[in-house]
Amino acid sequence: MIMKILIVEDEPKTGDYLKQGLAEAGFVVDLVRDGNDGLHHGLTEAYDLAILDVMLPGLDGWSVLAGIRRAGKDMPVLFLSARDHVDDRVKGLELGADDYLVKPFAFSELLARVRTLLRRGGKIKAAECLHAADVELDLMRRRVTRAGQRIDLTAKEFALLELLLRRQGEVLPRSLIASQVWDMNFDSDTNVIEVAMRRLRAKLDDNFEPKLIRTVRGMGYVLEASDCA
Amino acid sequence: MRLSGSTSITLRLTLLFVIASSAVLLALGFVIATAVEQHFVDLDMEVLTDRMDLTRHTLLTLQAPDDLKHIDEQSHQHHAMTGHQGLELMLIDKNRSVLYATPNARFDPELALAGAAQRPRQPMLWTVGGQTWRAIAEELPTRIGGRTSVIAATAIDTAHHQEFMRSFLQTLWLFVLVAALLTGLLGWAAARRGLAPLRAMREKAQGITAQQLSHRLAVQSVPLELAELAQSLNDMLARLEEAFRRLSDFSSDIAHELRTPVSNLMTQTQVALSRSRSADEYRSILESNAEEFERMARMISDMLLLAKAENGLVVPTRETVDLAAEVRALFDFYDALADERGLQLSLEGDGTISADRLMLRRALGNLLSNAVRHAAPNSKLRVVITSGPDAVSIAVENTGDGIAPENLARIFDRFFRVDPSRQRSSEGTGLGLAITRSIVLAHGGTICAKSTGALTTFTIELPRLA
Repeated sequence: MIMKILIVEDEPKTGDYLKQGLAEAGFVVDLVRDGNDGLHHGLTEAYDLAILDVMLPGLDGWSVLAGIRRAGKDMPVLFLSARDHVDDRVKGLELGADDYLVKPFAFSELLARVRTLLRRGGKIKAAECLHAADVELDLMRRRVTRAGQRIDLTAKEFALLELLLRRQGEVLPRSLIASQVWDMNFDSDTNVIEVAMRRLRAKLDDNFEPKLIRTVRGMGYVLEASDCA
Repeated sequence: MRLSGSTSITLRLTLLFVIASSAVLLALGFVIATAVEQHFVDLDMEVLTDRMDLTRHTLLTLQAPDDLKHIDEQSHQHHAMTGHQGLELMLIDKNRSVLYATPNARFDPELALAGAAQRPRQPMLWTVGGQTWRAIAEELPTRIGGRTSVIAATAIDTAHHQEFMRSFLQTLWLFVLVAALLTGLLGWAAARRGLAPLRAMREKAQGITAQQLSHRLAVQSVPLELAELAQSLNDMLARLEEAFRRLSDFSSDIAHELRTPVSNLMTQTQVALSRSRSADEYRSILESNAEEFERMARMISDMLLLAKAENGLVVPTRETVDLAAEVRALFDFYDALADERGLQLSLEGDGTISADRLMLRRALGNLLSNAVRHAAPNSKLRVVITSGPDAVSIAVENTGDGIAPENLARIFDRFFRVDPSRQRSSEGTGLGLAITRSIVLAHGGTICAKSTGALTTFTIELPRLA
């Protein structure tokens, strides 16, 4: 199913790159440059998600959001802002925004959040097992096998693999991994994630082919079953 | 005189001087005028009663109606004696017929009759035909023409006095006016002189600009009343200077720390663009750039957090935090890293405080990350929580190279690195400990670092505020 995203962003480069990045990630993207157009598009067309800049010419992001919500549209809305004030976040959330991202942000972070928001709306299958290539992760028994061989993982390694499997093909930024697996919502100075990932790979990939976990430099990590790259 | 905004103090003081001195002078003038007036009344009365007594005496010696001319003589004599102009006498009988009157006695006999009946020998003022008389009237015994008594009235024309009083009052009011103006002028001069220290202070203050915030107003040499003001202004200047210094340090830190990565990125990108390269080379360059950008983005957000904290904009939300559980969660996070370096993590004690969980986790996380990085391989890393009645302390200990005493004081400064050669390591932004300190301060706590030999201890002390 093709997801349609509306971007309202007046900064030309940001807008262009967001559009390109999201389009290449498989979304259908409409980009408009000011608040009035944004509200018009938001009201007249059906989108699965909207990304709004806060500071916009014409109508600011808050007003666009308010207009959209007034019209009874409940698509997820993600705010982008160069201002990081708690008040702004609170205001956004009160107006019915679903997420808030402060510039500068990593594109992989944005992509991950967009996918999370889109998934939130859909039905999540209560899968008992997760698969990728010949890897099987049994959520009930908390067991992992690859090519039929049992692989022993620590609790955190298990959680890390579960995250990678659930979001196969997505590049996951370090900050997202830290927050999802360890509940650490700050950027750590240290290369904790790298080390943890190295250990997981040692157990999962070292003695097997194909290698499933890949480092995307400058972005994060991805688990891909069909690597044609 | 300079008026700025509201009324100037000099003008205000001058006006007050004028009003006060005018009031005093007017009161004084009123008292003097009344006294002079009273003096005239007393003088008149003396003359009038003299004349009356003389008349009474003369009347008793006379018998025939013709003898009344002797009164006239007496009166003339009296005039000559007192030299008093306009002293008039009138004698009337009860039938209102005038028995005798001096030539200028042009007042109404009725007034004399009424006066003698109602206010004998009391001063009265009669106004007849534009002329005002001060007069007394009395019934005097006599034997003239078989009468037993006559009504006698003596009166003095007050025109002279009135004339004198008019000119006296004129002079007096003129004097009051001049005196008021003079005090105003003197008051103005005094106020100006008195306010000279204030002007001096203003001139000094005018000389202070953003570049010269170190200047201070003299507190010792100004009058007592201004010393406190000067002190307050100086304190304000000190605070401003401190804020300015922090701001400018902040900007120069940012500029300095961003210069290297930006220059690297620029060079790298420009070199890459200088000729055509393979896709792999481009990818590698872009990847390297992405890493650098990510680091810069993190530095910017860290700097913003610090800036907010320094300006008191970081307000922790309070919830009850189980410190041991937090440390265990962090141990979990750093487990792989510690394991790789052969570190043994241990936790002693526990405690709860009211704090912002996310911030506290970040503060402790930075301390642990710092300890893990600097711990000697295969050493022990200890976290000790000590719970006191009002405060809880958390100590993070590691064994390693230790920190030189001269560096200990600066360890919490932004971008301070013990080993400058590690500056460009990809690991940190050099802001971790500064952020930790900001968070601790925002919670009203203290943080200190101690290093003895190989053992380095960071201790956070936080108030419970339960």
